[in-house]
Amino acid sequence: MKQPQHDRALHPPGAQERAEIERIEARRTFLKGAAAGTLVMAFGGAAFAVAADDDPRLGTNRPDGRPRLPPGQRLLSALRPMGGEPGDPSAAAWRCRIHGDCDRPTTIDFATLLRMPQTSLRADVHCVTGWTVFDAPWTGVRLSHLAELAGVRPGVRHVVFEAAHGYTANVPLREALRPNVMLAHRLNGAPLPRPHGPPVRSLVPDLYFWKSAKWLTGVRFVRADEPGYWETRGYHNHGDPWREERYG
Amino acid sequence: MQGAPGIDHERDRSDERVPAPEPSATSAKEPAAKRERPSRWRPWLRAAHRDLGYLAVGLTLVYALSGLAVNHISDWDPNFESYSTTHELGRLSGDDAAIARSVARTIGVEGTPRDVYRASPTQLEVTYDRRTLHIDTRTGRVIDEGQKPRWLLRAANWLHLNRGKKAWTYVADTYAVGLVLLAITGMFMLPGRKGLIGRGAILVLLGAAVPIVYVQASGGP
Repeated sequence: MKQPQHDRALHPPGAQERAEIERIEARRTFLKGAAAGTLVMAFGGAAFAVAADDDPRLGTNRPDGRPRLPPGQRLLSALRPMGGEPGDPSAAAWRCRIHGDCDRPTTIDFATLLRMPQTSLRADVHCVTGWTVFDAPWTGVRLSHLAELAGVRPGVRHVVFEAAHGYTANVPLREALRPNVMLAHRLNGAPLPRPHGPPVRSLVPDLYFWKSAKWLTGVRFVRADEPGYWETRGYHNHGDPWREERYG
Repeated sequence: MQGAPGIDHERDRSDERVPAPEPSATSAKEPAAKRERPSRWRPWLRAAHRDLGYLAVGLTLVYALSGLAVNHISDWDPNFESYSTTHELGRLSGDDAAIARSVARTIGVEGTPRDVYRASPTQLEVTYDRRTLHIDTRTGRVIDEGQKPRWLLRAANWLHLNRGKKAWTYVADTYAVGLVLLAITGMFMLPGRKGLIGRGAILVLLGAAVPIVYVQASGGP
């Protein structure tokens, strides 16, 4: 039978009872702490996801009607390096093969690239890790110009960007020929700095940024698709940020 | 008392730390065979866990530090510290090699460049092993940019990402198997309420719940 409270006050619990109460309290504390710890760990990234940003460009749309900031992205003010095994940054040593299924394959050097028609534009870039930078100023040569020079044959459907240490990234030809896709050699009004793949990288702003290969060494036109470095390691073959095509 | 080879005697006694039963009428009548006896295999398990733990310390530090570094790669460069400085030196004249020497001397760059390259009538590129001088010969603007490796982290990242391939694949595989063994031996180290029939089970379940809840909550791959 349950002992009334006033009786308990008059007769304090014995040593055995006290030990039992302490054990129960310790168990409660442990369970509370463990459950709280689990929740914090499981939902740990939520704070970043809900962090608000007051940049006025965030609520705007692109000319194609899609939101300026793709879903699942957060806005940063500058490009992040994102690593990668560095290639040779030397402009003197740089050579780029334009080859594959084309009539006039060629190899160009850096000075030749600078003598081609230059395009400067501001482009948003979207990294698959979740950051976006608006209006990054790039300068380079449009891929469509190089495709025309090389004489891409009918039936070609894809472009494979080749880079240092065997890195590759595949892009559908119709997207690679858009006017904002280029071989870029300047960023923010200066030659590409070392973390961003100098002397030349590809720029494909409308796909996740891993498609924009750093330390570019070649552009290959192919009929059949060839998934590249990350595409064969679990990332999406296409990589559209607005469809959140992050993983395959 | 004779312990198992290589077993710390003080730790051995934890098997015997079964709470003494309260003196009562029932326990006095309990047959000796029903009392908990120290297991024979648990000391071996603990020894295996301890020695695997010692062996794993080095690689755990490599993988943990590198994991933290690379996990936050969108916040910083875990391999290099980058810098860029702009100098205004005024109009530069002379041949390319002379301009490169003059600029290097003026801004205090030591060493021999790998190459001096005239990319365009106004752009001279001077490349060193870890820095590049981008010189606009018309305006005299020089951008000195480069990278300093974070030696320890860069090596750890190189190992973690298995950039070296070859034999490191076997080392990494062995380490992964070692971690599995550490996890399994760890679960069975302690008997009783602090082991798998009490606190241990709760912690194991909570630990396993972290990835499960995360995948469920985030929508998964």
